[in-house]
Amino acid sequence: MGMIIAFILFFIAIYGLIARRNIIKAIIAFGIMESAIILYFLGAHHERNAVPPLLLGQIAEGTAIADPLPQALMITSIVIGVSVTAVGLTMFISLYYHYGTTNWLKVAIKRKEEK
Amino acid sequence: MVIDLFWFVLLPILFAVFSYLIYPKKGLILVLFFQFLLFYLAVCNFLEVKANGTRLEILGGYPQGIGISLKSDLVSAVLIMLVIFLFTNMILFNYHKDYVNYLFRLLYLILEGLICALFLSNDLFNIFVLVEVSTIIVSILIIFKKYSQSIYDGIIYLFSNLIAASFFLFGIGILYRYFGVLDISLLTEAVSRFDNPPALFLPFAMIITGLSLKSAVMPLFSWLPKAHGTPSAPSIVSAILSGIYIKCGLFIFVRVSAIFHGVIDVGQIFIVMGALTAVVGFIFALSQTDIKLILAYHTVSQVGLMMLGLSLGTEYAYYGAFYHLINHAVFKSTLFLTAGIMIEEYHTRNLYEIKGLWQKQPLVALATLVSILGITGAPLFNGSYSKYLIEKGGLHLPFFDVLMLIINLGTIVSFVKYSSVLKKDNSQQRVPLRFNQSIVILTLAAVTFLGGLFGPYLSSFFFGISKPIYASDYLIKLGVYLLSIAVCYLFYRFFYHKIALFKKIRQIELSFNEIVLSMFIFFCGMYFYLIVFGG
Repeated sequence: MGMIIAFILFFIAIYGLIARRNIIKAIIAFGIMESAIILYFLGAHHERNAVPPLLLGQIAEGTAIADPLPQALMITSIVIGVSVTAVGLTMFISLYYHYGTTNWLKVAIKRKEEK
Repeated sequence: MVIDLFWFVLLPILFAVFSYLIYPKKGLILVLFFQFLLFYLAVCNFLEVKANGTRLEILGGYPQGIGISLKSDLVSAVLIMLVIFLFTNMILFNYHKDYVNYLFRLLYLILEGLICALFLSNDLFNIFVLVEVSTIIVSILIIFKKYSQSIYDGIIYLFSNLIAASFFLFGIGILYRYFGVLDISLLTEAVSRFDNPPALFLPFAMIITGLSLKSAVMPLFSWLPKAHGTPSAPSIVSAILSGIYIKCGLFIFVRVSAIFHGVIDVGQIFIVMGALTAVVGFIFALSQTDIKLILAYHTVSQVGLMMLGLSLGTEYAYYGAFYHLINHAVFKSTLFLTAGIMIEEYHTRNLYEIKGLWQKQPLVALATLVSILGITGAPLFNGSYSKYLIEKGGLHLPFFDVLMLIINLGTIVSFVKYSSVLKKDNSQQRVPLRFNQSIVILTLAAVTFLGGLFGPYLSSFFFGISKPIYASDYLIKLGVYLLSIAVCYLFYRFFYHKIALFKKIRQIELSFNEIVLSMFIFFCGMYFYLIVFGG
């Protein structure tokens, strides 16, 4: 289920990037994309009743143990996502100071006139 | 002295942090010393790989599949030498400029470490992380001089590459779900034993979409000229981006398609796409009048040529493409550096306003001429030998030599146009060139020439493959080359200005939404192609 939702979210984000002309919305769509991927990774090897892979001595024989790798990967991915969003927003702010608009097309037109 | 592979990543980054403490214009000797040391270590690594085969190293002492692994085969050992060679030259070239401050040098040296890491990495998630970090650094370097136009170019570059990286990461996620590993060597084994190839179409299409944007293949290259040709990027940044950074995408593409080798066979579509990219690239290059944009679009064309060579599947074409990659790195960075000097001297980027380079700066003109000869594949220059290898590797395909001829003709026409900077103009005064800049462009020009003269020896030394060229071959090639030059010159002189198509193409510019749309269409097309013809 989680994986299907992840796919839907991913393509909603793609739709947002294609159809919305607002730069802020593009950044938000990018955030949605990021969360879709995180959801997918965490759902990939999910098992019900799995226990965290801690305290190995105390886990009863036969208990399912959760796969720790996706979590480690996704922590990295979240950190990258945060920094990327920060860089994107910073660049957007200075773009906004230059052109005074949040619209991709208007920015492109003003950029062309500048030459 | 052979060092562990991770030092090639860590040393530049550590040194970058260290050099942040030194005043940039004073520390040149130290930086150069460090670069030479690193180059020496890279040569040692190459000799070790050549003698004892591929080096595989797992960090942290964990078993394979748990720890991060680094791998250096012949190709990546050679590419690391190339990266360090180019960065050394670039640092020497521009150390006196005002914008080379603490931050610039920090970012630049970190980028060196990251590019080395991309060539060494043997783990898909690691590749994703490196791609993201280097994308951020490159986008900061692009807007470094803070001209107002460049901020738009930078933001387009950043966003389109981030979305490509997201596609890549989603593809990795699906692979991880099936196999539970992300290490390339282990993944290759697991994929070859996988019994349900159609399930791999979706991750493959996603990963390839991401990598195709990264390496600027046919419909997805519109970010590249913005990033490589933007007015504000210092010429050494453009040179590194066009010379070596774009090749990371190609290199990862090779590694990823090796994973799926035998399960998903898509060699043919990449041959077609490579050829299309090469042709479309030079048509776009031909229609531009901005010297940096001509060079940037030309990179697209050459990437197509390399993609073509890498997908042909024969040994000659494969290593020929890698040899071409090295050559292209050398002459394209020379061209970007000389273009940077021209822009500074003439205060314009318009090709038609730049004349009399021979009178103004003979050395720059000489380097430009040598690189033009290299890129158009004049006999005895390096481009000719690598194109020859690719051509020999593709002879089993019908009309392949015609295709190569067309691509080469396109290259020649666009550089006949470019070479109008060398036209005579006696009103120009001689302007002296700085000592460090002349050393760098002369070194690069000499490498362009020597790489062609000793092409067969070098390619057998680097990759263990060579195709001897005899004097009679040279004569034939010389004849063909002169004839093509004549045809191209006539075409440019008499027909080019009458074709209105070029003016229309000059106006084409995709907006951000359209870039993402083309990426999405590419992904869907790839997926449906795989469903219909793959497996």
